[in-house]
Amino acid sequence: MRALRWFTLLICVASSTVLLAQNFAVVADHLYTMADGTQGGPGMVLIRDGKIEAVRPGPHQQPPDGYTVLKAAFVTPGLIDADTTAGISGAYNIPADQDQDEATDPNTADVRTLDSFNPNERLLKVLNQYGVTTVQTAPGPRNPIAGRAGIFKTAGTGSMSPTVEQLALRAESAMVFNLGETPKETYGKKEKAPVTRMKTAEIIRHALADAKAYEEKWAKWKTDGSDISKQPSRDMKLEALVPVVDGKLPAIFNAYRADDIDTAIRIGNEFHLRYMLASVAEGYLIADAIRRAGVPCLVGPVMQRFDSLETANATFENAAILKRAGIPVALMSGYEGYVPKNRILLFEAGVAAANGLGTEGALRTVTADAAKILAIDDRVGSLAPGKDADVALFDGDPFEYTSHVLAVVVGGQVSYQRSK
Amino acid sequence: MRFRTVRSGRTTLCLWAVLCGGVVFCTQTSVAQATLAIRGGKIYPISGPPIEHGVLLVANGKIVAVGEEGKIKIPRGATVEDAAGKVVIPGIVDSHSHIGIIANPLAEDSGDANESSGPIQPGLRALDAIDPADPNIRMATAGGVTTANIMPGSGNVMGGQTAYVKLRGNTIEQMLIPGTIGGMKMANGENPKHYGAKDKAPMTRMEEAALARGIYEKALQYRAKWDAYNKAVAAGDKTAKQPDRDLDLEPVVEVLEGKRVVHNHTHRADDVMTALRLSDEFHYRLVVQHGTESCEVANELAKRHIPVSFTIVDSPGGKFETINLDLGCPAALEQAGVKVAFNTDDPITSSRLIIRQAALAVRGGMSEEAALKGLTIYPAEMLDLGDRIGTLDPGKDADFVILSGPPFSVYTHVLETWIEGQKVFDRSNPQDLRYATGGFGVGDRFPAAPRGGN
Repeated sequence: MRALRWFTLLICVASSTVLLAQNFAVVADHLYTMADGTQGGPGMVLIRDGKIEAVRPGPHQQPPDGYTVLKAAFVTPGLIDADTTAGISGAYNIPADQDQDEATDPNTADVRTLDSFNPNERLLKVLNQYGVTTVQTAPGPRNPIAGRAGIFKTAGTGSMSPTVEQLALRAESAMVFNLGETPKETYGKKEKAPVTRMKTAEIIRHALADAKAYEEKWAKWKTDGSDISKQPSRDMKLEALVPVVDGKLPAIFNAYRADDIDTAIRIGNEFHLRYMLASVAEGYLIADAIRRAGVPCLVGPVMQRFDSLETANATFENAAILKRAGIPVALMSGYEGYVPKNRILLFEAGVAAANGLGTEGALRTVTADAAKILAIDDRVGSLAPGKDADVALFDGDPFEYTSHVLAVVVGGQVSYQRSK
Repeated sequence: MRFRTVRSGRTTLCLWAVLCGGVVFCTQTSVAQATLAIRGGKIYPISGPPIEHGVLLVANGKIVAVGEEGKIKIPRGATVEDAAGKVVIPGIVDSHSHIGIIANPLAEDSGDANESSGPIQPGLRALDAIDPADPNIRMATAGGVTTANIMPGSGNVMGGQTAYVKLRGNTIEQMLIPGTIGGMKMANGENPKHYGAKDKAPMTRMEEAALARGIYEKALQYRAKWDAYNKAVAAGDKTAKQPDRDLDLEPVVEVLEGKRVVHNHTHRADDVMTALRLSDEFHYRLVVQHGTESCEVANELAKRHIPVSFTIVDSPGGKFETINLDLGCPAALEQAGVKVAFNTDDPITSSRLIIRQAALAVRGGMSEEAALKGLTIYPAEMLDLGDRIGTLDPGKDADFVILSGPPFSVYTHVLETWIEGQKVFDRSNPQDLRYATGGFGVGDRFPAAPRGGN
């Protein structure tokens, strides 16, 4: 019995070692590195120790010895979903698996996605199977100040179930603010603030001003000699907002209607925040104002239902119009409260490709441009030496309805392989 | 001579004929219409193999001829539309839609699909709640939909009578397809259980089935009373007492007599089996609607010749009964010999992208041929309209769609949609385009359309 146990263990170790230490040569008919240079020609990507070792453009590439060959018609970097609730808003959509909205207080700056993130959530696997390897998972749409987002991989690189720490690329990546209908509907029906858009803006401005004062109070206490008896009391909400008003932690403003987007710009500029706009259903209507503000847009899913006035003017052309106006654009799957429980970035990018962005342009919004906007381009978003080996392999144009994802590689490990 | 319901083009034609003293064949509905020829495109008649360079001839709202270019004679004076490089398919039939009854928020914040005051509502008619001005109807034509089964929602065990409509006209009467009475909406599984939260029935799937059996038993009894009365009258019995008319039970009797098909919302395999069990017991005709797990019981469906009107959403979940959604399910049904249609369940998915439903089934392994039939003739058959629409054959309604390229490519756009020889959507018209892409509510604020890339 004891011997059998040892035998089993040895097999496990052996097989996991093989899995982990594998080097891959990814050979493509059409290679989209999304790094500098022309895209879509034949080429090969070498993967070693979880990183991109080399990229060799051109046809007839000979894979070196000791590399497992993966072949595909189209190869792209793993896709980046710039803003989603996957990982904290589960597929079953019951209280047991919904952790995206702490709708008990309009200011929950103190909460973190990190502390709700379920690495084994099945929607993460679904996203991964559609080529998404990195997600920025953000708190949901209900609170004016919703909490901190984090950036995570959709699959681990070990043989065991990963921890959130192992998946995290940035444990805290942004502070999320929500404008428009959802916050006032959430609290208005309970006869609590905010009932109006005015109050939503006021709650946010108030908190940001308080955070500045809080920071100054602590600074003064330190310059006054750090007398413990006079130490200011700690406030976790304000403390969380200090890096935001300092411009160290980016702010994400979710806004749909054009005037709500404008409110985001007004607040962002007033407090000199480092910020980006998200959802932006009517962004195309005020593209000039967004460009003047000089901020990027995370464009919300255009296949989302028209179930409210603020989303009713969404257009398939939004991303193309914004990008044409010179605004940095990434795509996001956002939050869904019903079926489907999560939009698929690959599908959304396909609609954008077919409605003004083109194949390469759309691909850029879900790879290199997304990485740059989220400031993770040192790690992901393109296939270049030294970057994480996050790769998606397709048997045809990635955006065609009838193409398939053949395999997905995360950190040099195959996280998904098509069975037939 | 009468000019009722004639459209402007036809009116002109008739007047011209009168002025020239010619013989006029203008009747109230079939006004002489110039022949229309759609020439040069790849035509998918569906009833036969595709024609690479085809001609589609249309007159008086009907298809006159379909065939290869050069073999079909285009009459002198015909309006010829060049479709070279384009693709022509039959008008798409959406066998499960809520357009007009769950209106676009820009039209009105309406929710007329679910009469949640009680779980058995056979007396309700969708047609009494459909708003022909709902922009969602125009958005559906932008997706190539020409015919729809507009249904009450799935919140009730028996939700009401559905409406079979063409997507044209300013009143529901103009939309309704003459000679049709619609189907009957039923639902089982999760949705009708919402009554449980109010401590009302149904709280369980058991009760859903019990409620359904109850209404059918009542309808059987009602029919027996009328049969007895009619028999007595026919035998000359002047004292026979006429039963009271029951507007709830009449449409249920129509279900039992095969005049109405039951469109049953059902996802989980065991719920599909419950729907089959009821239709077996009461011998009514059934279309499985949604059918998320229906492939698990494909053989049970195949042996009963019961079709599935399938709904595909982007990812599983959002509710328990869609947690096992799989793009491979339609292909598995096809292999088992089950006819599969694709629906939008609009607003659950957008009618503008109904072709995408079938394309994703092809991604899941279904043949392109079956997927095209799933947008056209199979849903037409599910609405008992297979002899009128669903293929491009002479004598059928001239409902067709012109596409910019292969039907199942993401880069293909619907260019034009025609219903009974009338163009109802034209992508080259900037106003129509906004119904295809979005933003029709913003009017002049819409910026110039982006160019290039596609």
